[in-house]
Amino acid sequence: MNKKIIKSGVKFLLRHKLQSFFMILGVMIGVIFLCLTFAIGSSTEKQILDKMKGFFSSNNIFIMAGKGMKRGGPRSEGSVTTLKLEDMEAVLNAVPGVIRFDPMQTLSPCEVIYGNVNISTTIQGRSVDGEVVWNRTVTSGEYLNKEDVESAARVALLGSKIEKQLFGDSNPLRQQIRIGSVLFTVKGVLEEKGTDPHGNNLDMEVIVPITTMMSRLKNVDYIPAAKLEVDETKMAEIAEKIKTVLRERHSLNADVSDDFSVMTPVQAQEMVQKMKKIFTLYLPLISGVILLLSGIIISILMLISVSRRVSEIGLRKAVGASPKDIMLQFVFESVMISLIGGLLGLLIGLIGTWAIITKLGYTFYLPWQPIVLGVLLPVIVGILAGIIPARKAANLDPVKSLA
Amino acid sequence: MIQLKNISKIYGKAGSQQVKALDNVSLTINKGEFVAIVGASGSGKTTMMNILGMLDRQTSGEYYFENKVVSILSNNELASIRSGKIGFVFQKFHLLPKTSAVENVELPLIYTDHKDIRHMALEALNKVGLSNRIKHRSNELSSGQQQRVAIARALVNNPEMILGDEPTGNLDSQTGLEIVDIFQQMNRTGKTVILITHQQNIAEHTNRIIRIHDGKIVEDYRVQNPRNIAGELMKLDTMNK
Ligand SMILES: Nc1ncnc2c1ncn2[C@@H]1O[C@H](COP(=O)(O)OP(=O)(O)O)[C@@H](O)[C@H]1O
Ligand SMILES: [Mg+2]
Repeated sequence: MNKKIIKSGVKFLLRHKLQSFFMILGVMIGVIFLCLTFAIGSSTEKQILDKMKGFFSSNNIFIMAGKGMKRGGPRSEGSVTTLKLEDMEAVLNAVPGVIRFDPMQTLSPCEVIYGNVNISTTIQGRSVDGEVVWNRTVTSGEYLNKEDVESAARVALLGSKIEKQLFGDSNPLRQQIRIGSVLFTVKGVLEEKGTDPHGNNLDMEVIVPITTMMSRLKNVDYIPAAKLEVDETKMAEIAEKIKTVLRERHSLNADVSDDFSVMTPVQAQEMVQKMKKIFTLYLPLISGVILLLSGIIISILMLISVSRRVSEIGLRKAVGASPKDIMLQFVFESVMISLIGGLLGLLIGLIGTWAIITKLGYTFYLPWQPIVLGVLLPVIVGILAGIIPARKAANLDPVKSLA
Repeated sequence: MIQLKNISKIYGKAGSQQVKALDNVSLTINKGEFVAIVGASGSGKTTMMNILGMLDRQTSGEYYFENKVVSILSNNELASIRSGKIGFVFQKFHLLPKTSAVENVELPLIYTDHKDIRHMALEALNKVGLSNRIKHRSNELSSGQQQRVAIARALVNNPEMILGDEPTGNLDSQTGLEIVDIFQQMNRTGKTVILITHQQNIAEHTNRIIRIHDGKIVEDYRVQNPRNIAGELMKLDTMNK
């Protein structure tokens, strides 16, 4: 018996396509949003977390030029010119507990040429201490030494993959390559690190002395950031002292805020948490609100539908439909509509997410939450939205509705 | 089959303006009877039909259907009796819009355990002479055809009692007679048929006429020679020529 009522409900929806369409639309948009937030959220969250892990050990501090990350997102590099190499030297000398640092400066994309092979890749400026701070050494040749950095020598360390692409099986050591328009001598080949979570292949990187990078490749006198290795038992204290030293060197008055930011692992953790909150709390909350609204829309449209269909309802009762049957019919209609909206939303949402994430160069993780929720929530929304109209329909007086 | 004992129906809540649509009506209708309920507009005919068809409940008095007290039944139980034993035909047809004839006729079967509802619906349409209109939608049919669909819908459950509330009221006289013919045929197959009308000539096709006035039965008599439709239709036909 229920099967026939359901079939009859499907027929009704098909006969009233426009009305069904508007009810479907709301849920569809809600679920699309749900998909986007979850999928993009979880994908980016995973990238960020992995990146953080790659960057941060419990004994690392990052110093960055500029006002820091108030809103959780990284700001653009290079635009802030206040952080100098000398600042970092001063921090190393003046703050006890700071063991070593490696300044950062990146050039990307940049052409690397050997013979007739021409590859566009990323160049990193590093100091002697980069070997320890970034925990990455060479498998052949030698790492950068003090002399290389002090004299801004034109020497380069090659990632294992770019080395293969440039030199094939021949020995790269002491060969001349061109980076941009500058000639460099290959000094070593870096150990393999694979692809970082951002999609950057670290084995395609080329490392040159930071000073060479600044004076010959980029022609700047500032750095965007530096990674420090410190005594992790005095983390907070060290962070405070670094701030004092840098404020003094930058002659900042008490009423001026920092023109740099110091990030400790604790703060990094907090930042990740904040971002996580955006993706796991606020965005789903928004989709929840959209679904709630679409539930209300369905409910209102169903109520209108009920009042337009009083004579149909009266007739159904006259020919033997019980209040229970009528109730079932309307709740079913509402669930059906909501579910169709949910499935369409899921389809569009997942395709859309896949497109966006692939375009961003991230890896697409098929998220299970929106798939489960995209089916479950519409059913719940449909039931809840259907109850009031269905009750109204079930309680209609057949005598009045047939008059 | 049906017994009304001192049935009254009062519309409106106590205190507000009340209408006594049925006033202490007692009545017995046996299985297989063909009864007309006549009376002026507003006399209480529809009210009576609604109570007989269990669409509405009386204010006082007792209604026995097949010797069972109706007033103690729940709305779901009433629905199940309507579904199995009563067929309605209304003045305004009440067909579902945008829906084919056969699907309209299937409607009552949706609420039953019957399996082959399409087959049953086609059979019912055949009985009212509409086998050639099964896929037509309501708005593609003439009013006479629409009322036939409605009758097929009332028949499809093979009910014991058929109630028609002015089923000829919206039809011209010839089409009206054709419809009464179908009611007469149904009565011949053993069904109890109760036909509400305010047209005396329509009523004279039945076997018994009950006249109500201001909610009271004022007349209840057997028709000695019920009019024969086939003959009249032929007469009308020749007149038209
Ligand atoms: N739902 C209602 N509420 C109030 N009064 C009603 C209602 N239905 C019918 N009536 C009144 O009851 C009386 C009988 O109505 P009805 O049974 O429809 O008569 P008929 O079908 O013979 O024209 C009329 O006076 C009508 O106005
Ligand atoms: Mg009436």
